[in-house]
Amino acid sequence: MSRSWTLLLLGGGVALLAALPALLSAGLLNASIQMLIAALFACAYSLLAGRAGLLSFGHAAYFGVGAFATVHAMKALGGNGLLPTPLLPLVGALAGLVVGFVAGWFATKRSGTTFAMITLAVAELLHSLAPQLKGWFGGESGISAMRMPAWGLTFGSTVEVYYLTLAWVLLSLALLHFHGRTPLGRLTLALRENGHRLKFLGYDAHGVGLSAFVVSSMFAGIAGGLQAINNEAANYVVFDASVSAAVVLNSYIGGVGSFLGPALGAALMTFFGYAVSDATRSWLLYQGMLFVLVMMFVPVGLTGLFGAAARLKARRGWRLAVSVSALAVVATLCAAAGVVFVVEMLQRLCSHDYRALAAMGGSWPPIALFGRSWAPGSVATWLVPAPLAVAGLLGWAARRALVAPPVQPPEAAAAVDRQEALT
Amino acid sequence: MDTIVFALLNGVIHGLLLFMVSAGLTLVFGMMGVLNFAHASFYMLGAYFAYTLQGIVGFGPAVVLAALLAGAVGVGVERWFLRRVHHHGHAHELLLTFGLSFIIAETIKLLFGNHPVDYRVPASLDFAAFSLGSQQYPMYRLLMGGVAIAMFAALWALLTRTRVGIVVRAAIYRPRMAEALGHNVQLVFMGVFGVGAALAGLAGAVAGAFYTTNPNMALEVGVMVFVIVVVGGLGSLGGAMLASLLIGVITSLAVGVDRSIADLLAFLGARSWAEGIGGLLTLKVSSLAATIPFALMLFVLLVRPRGLMGEEA
Repeated sequence: MSRSWTLLLLGGGVALLAALPALLSAGLLNASIQMLIAALFACAYSLLAGRAGLLSFGHAAYFGVGAFATVHAMKALGGNGLLPTPLLPLVGALAGLVVGFVAGWFATKRSGTTFAMITLAVAELLHSLAPQLKGWFGGESGISAMRMPAWGLTFGSTVEVYYLTLAWVLLSLALLHFHGRTPLGRLTLALRENGHRLKFLGYDAHGVGLSAFVVSSMFAGIAGGLQAINNEAANYVVFDASVSAAVVLNSYIGGVGSFLGPALGAALMTFFGYAVSDATRSWLLYQGMLFVLVMMFVPVGLTGLFGAAARLKARRGWRLAVSVSALAVVATLCAAAGVVFVVEMLQRLCSHDYRALAAMGGSWPPIALFGRSWAPGSVATWLVPAPLAVAGLLGWAARRALVAPPVQPPEAAAAVDRQEALT
Repeated sequence: MDTIVFALLNGVIHGLLLFMVSAGLTLVFGMMGVLNFAHASFYMLGAYFAYTLQGIVGFGPAVVLAALLAGAVGVGVERWFLRRVHHHGHAHELLLTFGLSFIIAETIKLLFGNHPVDYRVPASLDFAAFSLGSQQYPMYRLLMGGVAIAMFAALWALLTRTRVGIVVRAAIYRPRMAEALGHNVQLVFMGVFGVGAALAGLAGAVAGAFYTTNPNMALEVGVMVFVIVVVGGLGSLGGAMLASLLIGVITSLAVGVDRSIADLLAFLGARSWAEGIGGLLTLKVSSLAATIPFALMLFVLLVRPRGLMGEEA
């Protein structure tokens, strides 16, 4: 894609984000705030996991520290003086930076699994200590504070909080992107590719890893601070393992290889959670399935699919690229519909109420789902998802056959083999 | 005195159970360098399988069948999931098992509900083994410990006294060499993965009846199992045993200690200073029981990253 196209898309995206309050209801706007925060958190996380290749399983620690520091500052300073409400995330950034420096100093001395385990241990340590330390973390009930007016803004409405969040997230994303362009960002990439070589070239590999850790935890702290401002409270639940888990899932579903991949993944999954969690209790199951499927079949993440489509267009023309992409989308939707049907039926069949009802009546009453009722005992019901799943699988098989490179004449293939053997 | 003996015994038995779960994990970890995040899920699966089956075949057969089923699931996970992403690298395998643990927990919630199920020790095993002072000690606890010890002995004999054990150990320490000598390392790995899952399943089937069987039990044990594997050392069964017992006993004893660091400092005459600072210093040890294993893990990772009995990496 050319530079002007990228700029145009970026400008359009920012304009759309800025116009959102006029377009959305208050509930959706609140969901947008959550999406923005999750996007920033995922981008901060993937600076460490994607750019530096250091897989952390305890990033909730720095998110949570940022949230608590911000709430304390909000309470103590009242949004006045040197640190008015819009600047409060700076406290979160500072807290994330300091704690990230201490934890990162030890963690980045190791790499691979040991690194992952250290980050996990730090997060679990905080999570198990936090409810005991009432002075710092407010025990089980947490700490709350009030957003105070500043700079002529009251911060009483969701719209003002939204713009505050948007400004901080855009600024942070820009800085995170800029980090990739600096020499330090390039060294961070080098650390991921080959730490030994980096060391051999005379660079301080530990320092580079530590810098990535600190920058990442600082921006995670900002995200935590924004969350604290939005909720006007912080609770030790922010240290929960599920927060660390969510950011890993979000980032990899979106794709840590590209800059905006984790942000889009996080926004998508947060919205998915918001929209689907009301409709079904199994949304975490869908999230887990999506994650495993992405890991198995699209290891570069969902945003990597755009790149794959673009490459296909460059190689085989737009006609094939569009038809193949459309086929893939339709096949995926079919298979997904089949899976959703089975999961939802099972969920209703296994629910407490239904089992009690079945035990009382001695038979299996019909289940209301998707606007009609289904007899769970009848074969016809379970034949509904089967063709959907088969259609999905067939669609994917057809896609694979279409995408496969055309068969080369033997001598050309041999030449390619020789070429590959040489390189 | 009685309480200390009881706490010690409870700690040892809890440690033995933890060892049962971590044995398979530590072997797989030693072999592939991959921490399987879904390992504790097999523990949970074992409990749920046994709970479902006990109504049909009775308690004893249900426990055995549950272990076998968990092992079968483990083999399936290795064959159809892990092996397919192996070429993407360790991080990828780690993430995949992480996703699988999520799916298993959520599927259990879907089928059995997000609350504990009524899986209990059968009445025929629910009696006191002996009493000390006024307290009675349940027989079932001793039984759990016995199962774990029998398992450790069997595993140890298998690994050190049989031909299969030689191949497995060779595949753990020098996989390339074992492969070059004509052993099917892929198959060995699948076998170890399956046996590990079966052991975890057995532990779950046995322990689930005594503790609670709920969809969060994998999460609770899972992190503790990582602590054990890391503290014990890469691929070392003996290390896993040592670390399991250590953690079982420490947490069990810590729950009963109603003292804080400030009490300790009181011997130095610094009590008021410590109370002035507050925070960590005035927290009772009993409320830190959940924290101690992680502190221990962090300490070992920083001071001796290969673990208590692990090989030099």
